Amino acid sequence: MISALDISTSALVAQRTRLTAIANNIANVSTTRNEQGEIEAYQPRHVIFQTDERTSGSLGAAGVQVSSVEIEDVEPRWRYQPGHVDANDEGWVAYPAVDLMTEFTDALEATRAYEANVGVIEVTKDLAQQTLRILA
Amino acid sequence: MLNSLFSSTTIPVLEQVVNFSQARHQVLAGNIANLDTPGYRTRDLSPDVFSAQLKKVLADQQRASSLPGPGASASGSSGWTQARLSEVSQGLETLVRHDEVNVGVEQQVTELAKNQMQHNLALSIMTSQFRLLQAAVSERA
Amino acid sequence: MQSITSLSQAGALNSTSFSATRGVAAEKGPSFQEVLLDSLEQVNTLQQDANRAVENLATGGDTNPAEVLTAVQKADVAFRMMMQIRNKLVQAYQEVQNIRV
Repeated sequence: MISALDISTSALVAQRTRLTAIANNIANVSTTRNEQGEIEAYQPRHVIFQTDERTSGSLGAAGVQVSSVEIEDVEPRWRYQPGHVDANDEGWVAYPAVDLMTEFTDALEATRAYEANVGVIEVTKDLAQQTLRILA
Repeated sequence: MLNSLFSSTTIPVLEQVVNFSQARHQVLAGNIANLDTPGYRTRDLSPDVFSAQLKKVLADQQRASSLPGPGASASGSSGWTQARLSEVSQGLETLVRHDEVNVGVEQQVTELAKNQMQHNLALSIMTSQFRLLQAAVSERA
Repeated sequence: MQSITSLSQAGALNSTSFSATRGVAAEKGPSFQEVLLDSLEQVNTLQQDANRAVENLATGGDTNPAEVLTAVQKADVAFRMMMQIRNKLVQAYQEVQNIRV
């Protein structure tokens, strides 16, 4: 039963990482330069989940881990702004291809998954409490 | 004679488990309090090392009691067991791990919950053992 | 002197009757004495099993907490039952003692 807590915790950590990546994407929705200051549109990041055997419980139950944070390679959104500092020679500015709707939906899903795992932890703690009632 | 009254039950072992989980609770609570402190490294008391030490002490005690000794009275062996078991709790200082890894709040809270479950379990079993002893002493079930 | 000899006669009678009942009981099945001693043995076994399960749990074995608690509770109930049986036996013996001859 105690290993169920570890499994739920691994899910909490993974969903938190996912939320961090989503927050990153939403914060950089208009970023036209990269970390070095060069003109390069921000590429959205997304996380890849993977079943984690390290937090495996009995009978093949396993937790989850973030295997990698992938940087997408998509075509940026182009806007015609000839007066913009970061415009290219034809006057087009490259904005990140971050779709706010998709990001918000992913954030909702991650939040619900987080809450579901917290609910599982509550149930596990309740089970342990009830087990103690065997000792009258 | 009165010390051997307790050594026939599992009360000394459970006493050590309860002491350990209380000490670990303090350490974990300190971790959670210092979540936002820059440069803070999380500490923990390793339960694996503790149970390994406990196992060793219990195995030594069983080997000692199974040896046929002419004067190995019950009170003598139980006193020795108490001393060995309290060595385990005094060695708690050496169990503190200073992690380099930045452990997040979820892990700390989970460890706290697991520690609490273990503490309650050991405490409940110890309470029921005491109640049994009292029933035996007072001859009233 | 007469009372002492009568007491010894009563004692001899007691032992013969006891052996007679033992002989009779052996034909029918286990005697009460054997059942009692067997139950004491079982209570002791249950207690030792419970102690072992608790030690296993404390030293990090892969026991289920529910199983450990069940074993402890079974030992508990068995012990209390045996104690009540012992109390009843002592009470019966005291009643017999108080029989005015």
